[in-house]
Amino acid sequence: MSGEGKGGAILSVHDLRVDFRSGRKTVSAVRGVSFDLRRGETFSLVGESGSGKTTIGRAIMRIHAPSAGEILYEGTRVSGRIGAARERLLRQQVQMIFQDPLASLNERAKIDYIVSEGLYNFRLFRDEAERRAKVEKALLEVGLLPEFASRFPHEFSGGQRQRIGIARALVMEPSLLIADEPISALDVSIRAQVINLLNRLKREKNLTYLFIAHDLSVVRFISDRIAVIYRGRLVELAPAERLFERPLHPYTRALLAAVPEPDPGLEAGKRHLAYDPAMHDYGREEPAWREVEAEHFVLASGAEAAAWRGRL
Amino acid sequence: MVREPLLPGPGLFRPAAFDEAAAERAGYASYSYWRSTFRTFLKSPVSMVLLGIILVLCTVSFVYPLVSSVDPNKVDLDTAAWNKAPGPGHAFGTDGLGRDILSRAWHGTRTSILLGIVIAVFDVGIGMVVGALWGYVRGIDRIMTELYNVLNNIPQTVFLILMTYIMSPGFWTIVLALCATGWIGIARFVRNKVMTIRDAEYNIASRCLGTPLHRMITKNVLPYLVSILIMEAALTIPYSIGAEVFLGFINLGLPPDMVSLGNLVNLGKNNFMFYPYQLAYPTAILASITISFYIVGNRFADASDPRNHV
Amino acid sequence: MSAPILRVADLDVSFSLRGKRLHALRKASLELAKGETLAVVGESGSGKSVLCKTFLGMLDKNGRVDSGSILFEGRDLARMRTEKDWLRIRGKRIAMIFQDPMTALNPLKTIGEQIREAAALHRGMDRKSSRLAVLETLERVGIGEPELRYRQYPHEFSGGMRQRAVIAAAVACRPEILVCDEPTTALDVTVQAQILDLLKSLQKDLGMSLVFITHDLGVVASVAQRVAVMYAGQVVEQGTVDEVFHDPRAPYTWALLASLPQLGVKGEELYSIKGTPPNLFKEIKGDAFAPRNPQALEVDFEFEPPPIAVSPTHWARTWLLDERAPRIEPPETIRRLREWLAKRRAADATARNDGPGGVP
Repeated sequence: MSGEGKGGAILSVHDLRVDFRSGRKTVSAVRGVSFDLRRGETFSLVGESGSGKTTIGRAIMRIHAPSAGEILYEGTRVSGRIGAARERLLRQQVQMIFQDPLASLNERAKIDYIVSEGLYNFRLFRDEAERRAKVEKALLEVGLLPEFASRFPHEFSGGQRQRIGIARALVMEPSLLIADEPISALDVSIRAQVINLLNRLKREKNLTYLFIAHDLSVVRFISDRIAVIYRGRLVELAPAERLFERPLHPYTRALLAAVPEPDPGLEAGKRHLAYDPAMHDYGREEPAWREVEAEHFVLASGAEAAAWRGRL
Repeated sequence: MVREPLLPGPGLFRPAAFDEAAAERAGYASYSYWRSTFRTFLKSPVSMVLLGIILVLCTVSFVYPLVSSVDPNKVDLDTAAWNKAPGPGHAFGTDGLGRDILSRAWHGTRTSILLGIVIAVFDVGIGMVVGALWGYVRGIDRIMTELYNVLNNIPQTVFLILMTYIMSPGFWTIVLALCATGWIGIARFVRNKVMTIRDAEYNIASRCLGTPLHRMITKNVLPYLVSILIMEAALTIPYSIGAEVFLGFINLGLPPDMVSLGNLVNLGKNNFMFYPYQLAYPTAILASITISFYIVGNRFADASDPRNHV
Repeated sequence: MSAPILRVADLDVSFSLRGKRLHALRKASLELAKGETLAVVGESGSGKSVLCKTFLGMLDKNGRVDSGSILFEGRDLARMRTEKDWLRIRGKRIAMIFQDPMTALNPLKTIGEQIREAAALHRGMDRKSSRLAVLETLERVGIGEPELRYRQYPHEFSGGMRQRAVIAAAVACRPEILVCDEPTTALDVTVQAQILDLLKSLQKDLGMSLVFITHDLGVVASVAQRVAVMYAGQVVEQGTVDEVFHDPRAPYTWALLASLPQLGVKGEELYSIKGTPPNLFKEIKGDAFAPRNPQALEVDFEFEPPPIAVSPTHWARTWLLDERAPRIEPPETIRRLREWLAKRRAADATARNDGPGGVP
């Protein structure tokens, strides 16, 4: 089953469930998450630890197997048991950037091998000269010098290592990039460099980004749409500015209220909203994923949806 | 607050040209793992001395048999030459059959070291590959752990003795006996180390790129094991030598026509009360080798831990 | 500003690393006033953690104080050499909490026991009364069900609760100064908000002075009254939070504030500081930030700028404050920062009630 994704969706996640078993206990990290990634957008998945956001990214990359649900790339199923050809398609066109620049590069391998690893895996070059040219091009695109290829990761700073990780993803000429907290381990002044680089690459190469993040201020700047995830379920999804200006779900509001803003006058007197999942009365009515206004979705019961709609 | 002694002249208060390239050139301190490991290791005088002892003993034991004309097996039919105390002609004396102990000692040391190295190579070689797979491939963990529980609990001594009875005493018998169960200890050690790096981000990154298992093992896992493998080898050698000596002590070691430290110690112990030098010299060499290897192995392990690279 | 309780003057600290000397602190100076929170802001390599470790004599064994002074209660902490002297200060008068609470917690002892030991040791209480004190403290730091939690081990606590436990142990002896080294960086943002609230309320109740190390300017605005900005082993600016946010003077502070993602305009690039921080193994000539500073003067490459006062509470190490320097306006992004702050003030005034709850 191949072909274009419906309505411009490059990636579709349907009712994804991922369970982890440790001994006799089963922990449900992702509990029925569905969303579409539109071609060319930057979609951010925001949540705290234990929300399942990293698990979703890794499930797309086939590191974790879904317990239920499916993931479609360009309309083709890429989750569960698939053939070698489809796996190859996924591994070439969907790439991942990782959080920790100190841990995501193989310390004992040269930059040349690190960047070429995907090329070797799928024999994506005709001869040595072509491979070398591809590596050089990727390094230059991320602002590094081609001579860095013969060095080892420990000779570089955190920001440079993160750029090497980006080069490793770029050399495969992907269409979709999943960035798993790519800047949270970097210094504040380096973050801007990497963000600018990612934005530039997206424009130049027509990429689609799935950003997994917890730093809300950066998310607001880079995203087209933002989804908030709490304990394995999406609770709200909206265009970036709308989410910040008119958050509906109490968890989203608590999250936004908790972010310290660099504004000395207002911060000191700020009230913090605490989120208690027990505040919902879901015993009576199961919540559903509802479109409350154009492009703005919330997980709410009927009563809640009515109340929140009134607030808009 | 303390001011600079030299005050800047007013002419300097002009905006400077901003050189972006110069901004990038500000240095970054470089660090090489192996260079730091050797530096830390060589910093200690004890390590240097013991390493020196190992090198000297190994060199002499390998060179001596090539340059000396004294036959370690030559029995002297003249009984006056038997059990001679150390003196001119026989630096370490002679044993009960008039054989020169110095010559026997170095030949024997060579045999014992060779034995230790062969066993280390097999044990570590097999243990490393199996351990890496064991740690990396989740599915085989259970069965390997059961295998480990069985093999590890076989009493080595009994097994050694049994093997020696079954197969006649010989160089390869001992190698087989010690390797048959020894590799699993190393495999387990390697497996633990591999499990700690199995889910490191760089390994997840490789999996996302579709890297096949064999390349994961060779490029992502094994390079991190080099230092512990060197350490394991360094510790297996004295253990093997010790095992051979022990077997010799109970008459189950190498055949008496071969010269080894075990045989020397075995024979020497019988005459210890009268001719202590027959036991003392081989034992001194044995002790030097084993202690040196143990300490150097442990110190190398310490030095290869990046946290000690100061 | 109330009287300074801790005064650091021209502190030089270096480490011997792989045969060379790393100059981690180069004439660092700052002041902490009694009962206030001072935020120390900087990136990795700025020396902020090293500086705060000197307050407790906790430098790694390859580090030493080369020169300078740390004056606290009439004593110069930089001169203290013996562990015996430090035992009177560390934990008792000056306490510290870290980013990873497990650096302070023993995984093999119950939480209650560990805090009780700290309390008993420093306040000389007997077993029974120290246990009661601990239960009270657990409640105070927001750990519910104290009886149950007393008997639990660190691994049974979540990250935020471990940090609360560490805070409980640290304040058990009512220190004068509590140093917090990025205690919330590894925590979720909602947990961070709770921990910051806790620290603020503890500070008020116990009259402690807080030194808060962070790289997050939002956290600075939330907890601190004064802030010290560090770069390459020096404090380049110190002032009240209002002064530093509304009227920053040091070029590095400009650059740091300019990097705030809140100031980003969609479609444009975020401001980023060019280049990399300097190599502290080498002697630095002039201003360490000069190579990366588009507004650098020629003098910045030759002579190190001294601290120059802007107001009685605000000073910065920059030649731009010297009378001889030309008038240089802060960069465009600072103006944008001021606009952003003004916009927030206006929005806050109109949305006083439980309105959209959004972020303008």
